[in-house]
Amino acid sequence: MNALRRHRALEAIWGSPTGWRGTAASVNHSDIGKRFVVAAFVFFAIGGVLAMMIRAQLATPGSAFVGPDIYNQLFTMHGSIMMFLFAIPMFEGLALYMLPKLLGSRDMAFPRLSAYGWWCYLFGGTILIASLAFGVAPDGGWFMYTPLSSKAYTPGINADVWLLGITFVEISAISAAIEITVSILKLRAPGMRLDRMPLFAWYMLVTALMMIVAFPPLILGSILLEVERAFDWPFFDPARGGSPLLWQHLFWLFGHPEVYIIFLPAAGVISTVLPVMARTRILGYGWIVAALLAIAFLSFGLWVHHMFTTGIPHMALGFFSAASALVAVPTAVQVFAWIGTLWNGRPELKLPMLYLLGFFLIFVIGGLTGVMLAMVPFDWQAHDTHFVVAHLHYVLIGGFIFPMLAGAYYWLPHFTGRAREDLLGRAAFWLIFAGFNVTFFMMHLTGLLGMRRRIHTYSDEMGWTLLNLVSSVGSFVMAFGFALFAIDVALHIYLSRRRRRNPWNAGTLEWAMPVPTPAYNIASLPLVADREPLAGAPSLAAALARGEGYLAQPRHGWRETMAVETTTGAIDHVVVVPGNTFLPIVTAAVTGCFFLCLLAGQYWLSLLPVAGVVALGWRWAWGLDWRKDIGPLPIGRGEVAPIHREAAGAPGWWGSTFLLVADGTLLASLLFGYAFLWVIAPNWPPPERIEGSLLLAIAAAVAAVAAATGTVLARRSLAASVKGSLPSAQRAALAAAAAQAVTLGALVTLSLTALPAPQAHAYAACSWALLIYSLLHAAIALLCVSFGRARIAGGHVSAARTLDLRVARLFSDYSAATLAIVLVCLLAPALAP
Amino acid sequence: MSLLARTSAGLLLWAFGFSLLYALQGTGCAYGWQEIELFRGTLLRWILVATWLLLVAAGLALLRLARSASSDFEKRVTLATVLAGAAAMLVSGSPVVLTSACG
Repeated sequence: MNALRRHRALEAIWGSPTGWRGTAASVNHSDIGKRFVVAAFVFFAIGGVLAMMIRAQLATPGSAFVGPDIYNQLFTMHGSIMMFLFAIPMFEGLALYMLPKLLGSRDMAFPRLSAYGWWCYLFGGTILIASLAFGVAPDGGWFMYTPLSSKAYTPGINADVWLLGITFVEISAISAAIEITVSILKLRAPGMRLDRMPLFAWYMLVTALMMIVAFPPLILGSILLEVERAFDWPFFDPARGGSPLLWQHLFWLFGHPEVYIIFLPAAGVISTVLPVMARTRILGYGWIVAALLAIAFLSFGLWVHHMFTTGIPHMALGFFSAASALVAVPTAVQVFAWIGTLWNGRPELKLPMLYLLGFFLIFVIGGLTGVMLAMVPFDWQAHDTHFVVAHLHYVLIGGFIFPMLAGAYYWLPHFTGRAREDLLGRAAFWLIFAGFNVTFFMMHLTGLLGMRRRIHTYSDEMGWTLLNLVSSVGSFVMAFGFALFAIDVALHIYLSRRRRRNPWNAGTLEWAMPVPTPAYNIASLPLVADREPLAGAPSLAAALARGEGYLAQPRHGWRETMAVETTTGAIDHVVVVPGNTFLPIVTAAVTGCFFLCLLAGQYWLSLLPVAGVVALGWRWAWGLDWRKDIGPLPIGRGEVAPIHREAAGAPGWWGSTFLLVADGTLLASLLFGYAFLWVIAPNWPPPERIEGSLLLAIAAAVAAVAAATGTVLARRSLAASVKGSLPSAQRAALAAAAAQAVTLGALVTLSLTALPAPQAHAYAACSWALLIYSLLHAAIALLCVSFGRARIAGGHVSAARTLDLRVARLFSDYSAATLAIVLVCLLAPALAP
Repeated sequence: MSLLARTSAGLLLWAFGFSLLYALQGTGCAYGWQEIELFRGTLLRWILVATWLLLVAAGLALLRLARSASSDFEKRVTLATVLAGAAAMLVSGSPVVLTSACG
């Protein structure tokens, strides 16, 4: 097969139909990635307009441009849009588009999940923006502190829009995090050991793992606050044993790692672009990996520095102040590695490099003011002033937007296949750079002069007038810069001439494919022996196009790519990913209906979309697989590999595992909240506890024994299937489902007979929350084993094809283990004297 | 996955130790352990100091992990992250001897 015929055959398999059908059904990672990037930029523009309105309001004292109610919506939506609808989706889009190309793969591990995440993001973002248009946008600040966001002080739906809209969007973030993690760990080109991976992939791997652990506390906090607002369960009401500080803890447990979740992908862009601009290799690859692991962990020990003024004991302040200062060390290691790389190479001041220089200056200033704010006495003075606003913008715009603009100019020829002209891009840089510094440097000064953040106006006597006016002028200059950037990109897309691939002479694999890339990315997959494969083999691109790599022969219309052993990069199996389908958009729409029902207060009606999602999930999982064993497949270069359904470490198993890690973090956050309230909150111990009784003991014992039995039976079903005894496997799966049903019944009995009313006290509310968590997971385990049984009956399971049963076992194990923890936490207080 | 586990071990221990110290401090203050005098200090102070020192020692003990690493890269990164974890434990836990526990 020659290169052209191979291209046509692969394009027929991987391409998407044109028109609305293609738009709605495509699951291709390039399509989804580009949509994320474009949508994120649109949301950025909306957030930017809100920022300009904020600056217009503050430009002069006593301004009547907008009143306080609208102003509250402006700054809340500005922060929320920039954090949740711009920054995270922007790097998710870049990762979805770029990662398979950098890793020498043809797609991400779960293309339908990418598409589902995209639609959830679009629908959730639309709900948030629509609320702005209808005048009911969130108005309690982007961190939604209670009691301001509680029902008493925000009686309208403004806070509900935030809590439900953001949670809807977070589904997209968790989906992307799992997708990115599994894709990096498994879907790399053969030979690409972890220590040969491009640094961008390391950064994205660590970021995605951070997201898996950091987002659940926010999701939990949002659920608890929404339940408090909807059903009066007093998690955050101090009069009934709750605490507003619990919200702050849950929010910042997410919120501070979030800063690094935003920064690290941008740092990955720097580590990719900077060595190319310096015409050398990155200095200190291993040190950078170690530094980024250190940042990832340390960033989870800083959250309380947002709460230094809440009256926390000195020792706790000391812990978090020290950790906050410490995180500067690994960050500095990275900066020194970048400076060393520049020193080592022969830097060229091309456009991406210009933006990187802007990054260096702004980010270092932001980092230094961060160290200032990590010091408790200074923070007490500057807390909630414009100094903090200036700091966070220096860190986020310096640490995210400038590197991403560098990345945009670096990879634009890859997206479009066209040549770059630098003139407008340089003008845009100087407008953005100058406008940014004028805007935000002034805010340091207004902050130090005592200007509080979020005030909608001020009087002339405060002495802030000139500084605010200059700051506002700067913000408009910056906005012109971003507009010029958008015009430059549009002109590039529509007017620039075609250009050869790899204009920068870069060494990473994304430049080994035609530009703009075809739907299948790469005609055959390389054997990687170097961190920069193209540097060692400049003719690699042509060789791969000729089919000299792996999986060069299209077959059966399958979308094939390679999976490797996670550490060594040795060939593991062939993954056949699913093709275009309407399932993601339909499932996202039904998920959106669930959130809209909640927003409208139609709680019983919301059960309908829940049932819909379950049915669609079943259909989703059912659509994969074959009813016969395939056996080892030839993959080229004289080698064979099994198909993923017949391999032990299939992506589906890994994805389920990381989903459960996120789930476990959510439970850990709930247990933390329960313990926190018990130890710290006022009005404890509760007036009414779970009372020990015979019925309670029986119900708890039955639940525990049934859950354990369900686990044993799920394992037995898997073992029988591995031995080829399918009737026995089917019987065990049916018995496991029955055991899970008994668990459900026992838990319902326990909750109806033993728990106090959830509105009475935070203790009762937490107990109900824990029990509902276990109920939900027993139901999920029931569904999983039932699905396994149906798959055996349908002929989809054999001794070689056991993925469904292994996933069912995973969920059964998790359900039983968490039930044991929940029962101990619930019953220990009941047994206490 | 062994590479990721090994290179994260020192920092994972720091995360565990940091959470443990914070939890012990909060629990001790809530239940009055700082009121119990013990060896010219308080029960809470001694518990915190002992825990802190044990955590630092455990962090350093993890240096052994670097020895069994399968490649130079893994060895170097493991060494760096274990030392980073132990140093972070030493510094971020130091308030147990420097500040008042519950005030």
